[in-house]
Amino acid sequence: MNPEYSWLLAAIPAAMFFVIAFAGRYLPRGGDYLGVAATGASFVLFFALLPDFLDVFDAEAHVLAVAGSIEWSTIGDFELRMGVFVDPVTVVMFAVVTTVALMVNIFSIGYMKGEPRYYWFFAVLQLFVASMLMLVMADNLLLLYISWELVGVCSFLLIGFYWEKRSATEAAKKAFITTRVGDVGLLIGILVFWKETNTFNIQEIIHMAEGGQISETYLFVGSICMFLGAMGKSAQVPFHVWLPDAMEGPTPVSALIHAATMVVAGVYLTARMLPVFAVADHMLLIITIVGLTTALLTSAIAFAQTDIKKVLAYSTVGKLGLMFVALGSGSVTAAMFLLMTHAFVKALLFLGSGSVILGTHHNQEMDKLGGIWKKMPITGTTFFVATLALAGLPPLAMFWSEDELFAAAKDEWGLWALALAMLAVFATGIFMVRLFIRTFTGQPRDPHVYEHTRETPAVMTGPLVFLCVLSVLSGLVVFHGVGTALGFPGGISEFVFQHEPHRYEIDWALAIPSVLVALAGVAIGAFVYWGNDLRRSTALANAQPRAYDLIRNKFYFDEAYQYVIDRGVLGFSYLTSWFDRYVVNDTGVNGSAEVTGYAGSVLKLFQTGRLPNYAMAIAVGVIGLALAGLWLRG
Amino acid sequence: MVPLENYLVLSAILFSLGVYGVLARRNAVLILMSVELMLNAVSLNFVAFAAYLDPDKITGAIFAIFVITVAAAEVGLALAIVIRLFRNRATSNVDEAATMKW
Amino acid sequence: MTFDEAQGYVVLATLIAPLAAMLILFFVPGEQKTAVRYISLFFATLMLGASVYIFVAYQFEGPAFSVEGHGIQMEFKRAWVENTAFLGPGGITLRLGVDGISALLVLLTGVVAFAGTLVSWKLDYRTKDFFLLFWMLVAGVYGTFFSLDLFFWFFFYELAVVPLYLLIGVWGSTRKEYGAMKLTLMLVGGSALVWIGIFAVFNEAGLGTFDMPTLWAAGANGTLSPEFQKTFFPFMVIGCGVLAALWPLHTWSPDGHMSAPTAVSMVHAGVLMKLGAFGIIRLGIQLMPDGADYWMPALMVLGTVGAVYGAVAALTQRDFKLISGYSSVSHMGYVLMGLATMNSIGITGAVLQMFSHGVMTALVFLLIGALYDQAHTRDLKDFGGIGKVMPMWVVFYSIAGLANVGLPALSGFTAEFHIFVGTFKTYPLFGGLAIFAAALAAAYMLRMFAIVFFGPFNPRWSSLKDMTPHEYMAGALLIGSMVVMGVWWAPFTDRVAATVTLLPGMTS
Repeated sequence: MNPEYSWLLAAIPAAMFFVIAFAGRYLPRGGDYLGVAATGASFVLFFALLPDFLDVFDAEAHVLAVAGSIEWSTIGDFELRMGVFVDPVTVVMFAVVTTVALMVNIFSIGYMKGEPRYYWFFAVLQLFVASMLMLVMADNLLLLYISWELVGVCSFLLIGFYWEKRSATEAAKKAFITTRVGDVGLLIGILVFWKETNTFNIQEIIHMAEGGQISETYLFVGSICMFLGAMGKSAQVPFHVWLPDAMEGPTPVSALIHAATMVVAGVYLTARMLPVFAVADHMLLIITIVGLTTALLTSAIAFAQTDIKKVLAYSTVGKLGLMFVALGSGSVTAAMFLLMTHAFVKALLFLGSGSVILGTHHNQEMDKLGGIWKKMPITGTTFFVATLALAGLPPLAMFWSEDELFAAAKDEWGLWALALAMLAVFATGIFMVRLFIRTFTGQPRDPHVYEHTRETPAVMTGPLVFLCVLSVLSGLVVFHGVGTALGFPGGISEFVFQHEPHRYEIDWALAIPSVLVALAGVAIGAFVYWGNDLRRSTALANAQPRAYDLIRNKFYFDEAYQYVIDRGVLGFSYLTSWFDRYVVNDTGVNGSAEVTGYAGSVLKLFQTGRLPNYAMAIAVGVIGLALAGLWLRG
Repeated sequence: MVPLENYLVLSAILFSLGVYGVLARRNAVLILMSVELMLNAVSLNFVAFAAYLDPDKITGAIFAIFVITVAAAEVGLALAIVIRLFRNRATSNVDEAATMKW
Repeated sequence: MTFDEAQGYVVLATLIAPLAAMLILFFVPGEQKTAVRYISLFFATLMLGASVYIFVAYQFEGPAFSVEGHGIQMEFKRAWVENTAFLGPGGITLRLGVDGISALLVLLTGVVAFAGTLVSWKLDYRTKDFFLLFWMLVAGVYGTFFSLDLFFWFFFYELAVVPLYLLIGVWGSTRKEYGAMKLTLMLVGGSALVWIGIFAVFNEAGLGTFDMPTLWAAGANGTLSPEFQKTFFPFMVIGCGVLAALWPLHTWSPDGHMSAPTAVSMVHAGVLMKLGAFGIIRLGIQLMPDGADYWMPALMVLGTVGAVYGAVAALTQRDFKLISGYSSVSHMGYVLMGLATMNSIGITGAVLQMFSHGVMTALVFLLIGALYDQAHTRDLKDFGGIGKVMPMWVVFYSIAGLANVGLPALSGFTAEFHIFVGTFKTYPLFGGLAIFAAALAAAYMLRMFAIVFFGPFNPRWSSLKDMTPHEYMAGALLIGSMVVMGVWWAPFTDRVAATVTLLPGMTS
């Protein structure tokens, strides 16, 4: 099959969106099977196309991409082309998106059962999958921006799926507006690059940037602005506030959009534009610092959260931060590898939490759970594996990707970056174990909830098991042997790379500390929370009340933003409205009317109605005019 | 022949009388009569100029006839108004008919 | 008769259709409301068909597209008054025709007028008089887009303004006398400036003709001296700008929209405001290129102020229509920015934005009307969770709102994108501000969504009905136009750009 048909990957779900949106409510079961069929078709098609991609790619000859485009519109010499560009980065994204999307679609059949607007959920899910796939294969920044906004709106619609709830509505609004602020930067960045290069085509921009054809100022401004967009989408500090709130959406949505795919769009964009950013001054350092700040800050916040999904959300933000650290260290390999393994693990965790929520009849507070492993064996076990995987224990998937990250960070920035990245991984171990212990083990906190807890149906546990397998094994693609066995040129670092492929070797000087750090995190978490006993952790919190208060209140980001919005933005808006009403309208417009009216009220007094006055005025006027005429004639 | 100046002086005197009448009188009928006086003064001017400047053409005389015609029509209309005024207000004093104001 | 001449009659017929509707309605007794409605619908369909035909049949390439003829096609020309005391040969002609820009705006008029007719279906008070005036308004709009003669251009321009006063004053709501009075006075005041400008041009050119292409040539070849153009360009732009909600002459827009009845708001915000921007192209850029060159930076500043100012002011409004009114100020600000770029991308974007804003605002006012007719309030705070009782209404409004925000795949994005690109080319800083204003649009739209559509349901509104079939049809038509332009914009840009690149003083 011709690899240029990859646009079909997006076209199938897009078509299904229309079918389900218009006909879904008349179909039996809301057409959910159509959704599964569409994502399934994309999934199968991707694997059908994969050998063709690999055939075309030839690392020796530096042919690593399939591209094709068509003319979309022309104004004078301003030509817009739309097309696809598939390279190893895109292939990884395809694999992640299609796999997770299919799993989430299947899982949703069980999770969303009986919900109102069931068909609508599946319709928007298809639209999301289509836009996301379009995003990762766009060959130009315009198409990328279009898909970028479309995934944003799908996220908005799905976060606000339970729109009867005020909190869901507010969360949806917050997510959309926060990312939109970043998008302002993205669009400005795109246009800055366009101004300098006269093209939207990503490869041409990269080519010109590397050739030094973009002036330094523009290069820096454009890169910073685009990176703002990436930060907004990938919820990096200070834009991270929307992602935890986005957990108001149905849990499969959190798994697909807010863990595995959409939020990594920022990472994808940065990876795609990395050759450009790398040329700009200080850009890589900025990316690294943003990533590290996010990873550490959100890991701290995650300690004090009691909502399962919020803990996971903060851990997602943190891991996204680590992906940016990888990119800032110049390693596309580490970033994409981390992205892939994280997507599988985090999707599993979110789907697992969804399974818990459904199994316990809509309970997602750790304070009411505990000890449900026995009642939900499959969910519990898969969740356990995913917890360890996320904590970075070998040989689970994320260990290998984090190993790549550590190596890259150390090579590029030295020990400080490595230490901070390890600190984030260490923290992840603690709060993930806390999450697992408090949810699944120990004594049930709420006997009533425990009483009614049951394992979820196979349609939900099936995807859990599948993702669990991926969470264990997907890290192994790092090895040359595994990669070649799968038909790739080698391990992932020989397939996805920026400059030169390199074969992965275990660096024990790095691997051992990394294992120790992960183990330490898990061990400390287990020690503090063992048996779902909160005495030790409460004592810790009481020992440092200020610090605990700070992380419990998420470093007061929300409050600060609310203050700025209320006092700054809305205040300015009130001021403008006031100005518009009282200055422009009442003074300017009505004022001129009133001046006219007042002039009339004065001048009308000359109309006395008395004939002699008029006669006198005529006489005086005639004489006056005659005199004036004489005077003028001189 | 009587010089032109005599006609003009007579016309000016007549016109000034008319102006005085219009401005000083309060009785509507008297004002009307004063207006007629002014019109006649103008007509006199027309005829005099016509006779002196270009006796062959009768333009001035025609204008005078027009003026007389218009004056007649105007008087008809004005007197009708005065009669209506008198019927309604029992007066022909224009000071008392001052309702057409702001 | 050649084919192009025959098409000229299509244009003429499109202009005559609303007048014919008026004439027929005049003889229909006022009690026959159903007959009035169906006659109106018949003519509306006719106009829609003709408008679509004109747009599709417009040739943007090939031999039919004449560069010398300014891209004007489908001409119809009859001498009206000539060779009198001050008019020379070809003094005033009824010269009709379309170029790429007006072809798109004619399509917009057809779509919006058709939707307006459907929406006015349930209007019950003085139906006949309403439609009489409505068609007069539409005739004025069509006439302005078709006219290639300054005299007739102005004649139709005024014809469109006059019925507004009655339509708002009689069928309006909230403070309708004030709104109607203010709107009419401000628009007529603007027209006075335009009228002065037109006579100044007529006098200065000294050709004894009001024929537009002749005068365009005069403007380009220096018959209208550059000093003259610099002096009189502001007359045209401010005069027309009033109608295009040029800041700070925009205040009629929120108040006028607040008072106007649904269909009138639709046609007014949807089409009439575009007459102003169209006037800036026809009487400003085309007639006085030197003046445009000199003044456009000022227009860019005012446009940007309008775009940001409207968006900021909309952020805290409590009345639906005020939000839409201010958002119109903001979006028309984009149009003015696009025009002020003086490059073909920006101006093409501006024309696309005229269309996009037209259908989008028409839809918004349609929906506000559908709600207000039942709820008799437009205060956001009165509502909550409306999605429960009016799901389709909410879906339609969301689409309109997202188009407003500039969401890709809807027309707003296509238009704004081109404007941004054009602005960035010449004035990057203003381009950045405009993009920022687009983010504010998201804020005010979503704020309204959150308050009105979603959240806990307010049981006070349990008796609300969803949209009627007529409104549904009208809304679907408008959304269809938005989606087509948002996804596949080549047919639109091709036609508009073909003409825009011919405008004088254009950088590519």
